[in-house]
Amino acid sequence: MNSVLPGPAHLAPTSQGESCQPRGLCKLQPAASEKDCDNTFVGEGSTLQNDLDEVDKLKSKFMSAWNNMKYSWTVKTKPNFSKTSPLYLLGHHYLLDNKEDSERFQKDFVSRLWFTYRREFQPLEGTLWTTDCGWGCMLRSGQMLLGQGLLLHHLSRAWTCSDALFTSLMEREPQKSLSPSKSASPGLRTLERSRPVRDISIQSHSPADLVKEGLHRKIISWFSDHPRAPFGVHQLVDLGKSSGKRAGDWYGPSIVAHIIRKAVEGASEVSDLSVYVSQDCTVYKADVEQLLGWDIGPRGPRKAVIILVPVRLGGETLNPVYTDCVKEILRLESCIGIIGGKPKHSLYFIGYQDEFLLYLDPHYCQPFVDPAKDSISLESFHCSSPQKISFSKMDPSCTIGLYARSRQEFDVLCEQLTRTLNSSSVKERYPMFTFADGHAQEYSLDDVCTPSERAVPTPEAGARGKVKRPSTDEFVFL
Amino acid sequence: MHQERSQKNQSTKPFKQRKNLQTRKEEVAGIRAKFPTKIPVIVERYQREKSLPLLDKTKFLVPRDLSMTQFVTIIRSRLALNATQAFYLLVNNKSLASMSLTLAELYKDDQDEDGFLYMTYASQEMFGSNLRSKEEKPVEYVLKVQNPLWHCCS
Repeated sequence: MNSVLPGPAHLAPTSQGESCQPRGLCKLQPAASEKDCDNTFVGEGSTLQNDLDEVDKLKSKFMSAWNNMKYSWTVKTKPNFSKTSPLYLLGHHYLLDNKEDSERFQKDFVSRLWFTYRREFQPLEGTLWTTDCGWGCMLRSGQMLLGQGLLLHHLSRAWTCSDALFTSLMEREPQKSLSPSKSASPGLRTLERSRPVRDISIQSHSPADLVKEGLHRKIISWFSDHPRAPFGVHQLVDLGKSSGKRAGDWYGPSIVAHIIRKAVEGASEVSDLSVYVSQDCTVYKADVEQLLGWDIGPRGPRKAVIILVPVRLGGETLNPVYTDCVKEILRLESCIGIIGGKPKHSLYFIGYQDEFLLYLDPHYCQPFVDPAKDSISLESFHCSSPQKISFSKMDPSCTIGLYARSRQEFDVLCEQLTRTLNSSSVKERYPMFTFADGHAQEYSLDDVCTPSERAVPTPEAGARGKVKRPSTDEFVFL
Repeated sequence: MHQERSQKNQSTKPFKQRKNLQTRKEEVAGIRAKFPTKIPVIVERYQREKSLPLLDKTKFLVPRDLSMTQFVTIIRSRLALNATQAFYLLVNNKSLASMSLTLAELYKDDQDEDGFLYMTYASQEMFGSNLRSKEEKPVEYVLKVQNPLWHCCS
């Protein structure tokens, strides 16, 4: 078998999509007990008894400790990537039997932003939560998706992190991992080098590089787990409240899409970017144009757009008819990834090779750091070990992310995607999603509305039958 | 509230399990004879759906030229969902994303052998800790607590 390990596998907590948690301990699983005490956690005030408070504190401490252990304690095997099949990463492709390509892949992969569970941040407003371990994974995946959008927006798809950061990431000792990383990849020189000095912030040379490094840090700092950061967990949890979500709840890819939309809407940091979330798997072009102000003039206040399309690609499992389309989308340079996962375990999908998706996994608990401080290394916001999971294990619920820098790019994207969506093996009837001209409202119905509906009893359901039979036995006329 | 729901769920088996093929065929034949221009559609909630409510009706007679957009709008409004709530209609495990399709077009390709067109509605799954490991039992316990409706409609 021709296979190569594109990087030391020591950070991401899962391997080939299978988690390696300590078995038998799951009774202590925090999700359950967290839910139990959810009400008291959110208690906004005075009615809480002190001792109850203490219990909660203990619980929360215990669960944090448990989660910290659980999500740090990872035994893993390294995923094998084929040397001969192309490996796609958000529109770029690499052949790993080519040494140069292999290194370029590493650099590209490592440069994606990696947001994971964090602990020891300021309590989320009105709660005792100081960690999102065990429940915030979908929010973290959403952060990674938005992060990629912001990298495209402020830097470019070609941007990669500084050499210094890259080198130090590739050579870092495995953190808290039980398995020592073995550098089994002869083609990757950097693995065998000795540990560099950890000073990464001052090593950039040209002024342009310094500006880019500054932007890189700035973007990450917007995701800092601090109440004032526009895309930190505090803000995201707060914005989820209107969708009925609270700290400690589980989130879905569609809810997170709307949370991202609201977060960007309210962020003064990114005033020239908007987020559009499709409804009923349809992107209404005129709604996008209106949102961006493109319809009132060429120089609207906002120029770029992130398009988020929440979908459900099957009932229990991903319908294989969609696999090719997912692949085609991941081959687009304007794709900023897909947030979804395997059942109950969120992952951020950024590429694929053969029948495997390439992903970043948020299930790794790290202590809070403030990335705005220059003295703080950005290493913990990047991941050096690519992981893969079979398409067949992908949960059908996900949100697809796309980015267009301008109206022109948006038009190209629409055209490209319409072709992609219709051409892939799925019959025309069942594209993953569609683009439609006009506004969503134009398609809604004034003429065929509920008032005109009449419930007509079927022949066997008479007036008396109505009482006894389930009401579902009647046809509803539309 | 939950109890009411769970009682209702228990009495609402999938349409196909409530009636045998012959009865369903006769039903379609009867209604088609009376209303030849309408399409008989069964709309049911996905078995494991945890957040969307149950529809009060499952059987619909739909004009042939009604578009999916219009149909989705009707079902959404019957469920009292707002525009941003996740709602998907699945036919044969495929997502209905092409909103310009008419019911007649769908019916042509995807009607069941009994003559009904079956649709399932679902929202999206939620993601939290990874508990779904084949060997581990506590999953059920957690699911019950996490999603009080799950156990009663599975």
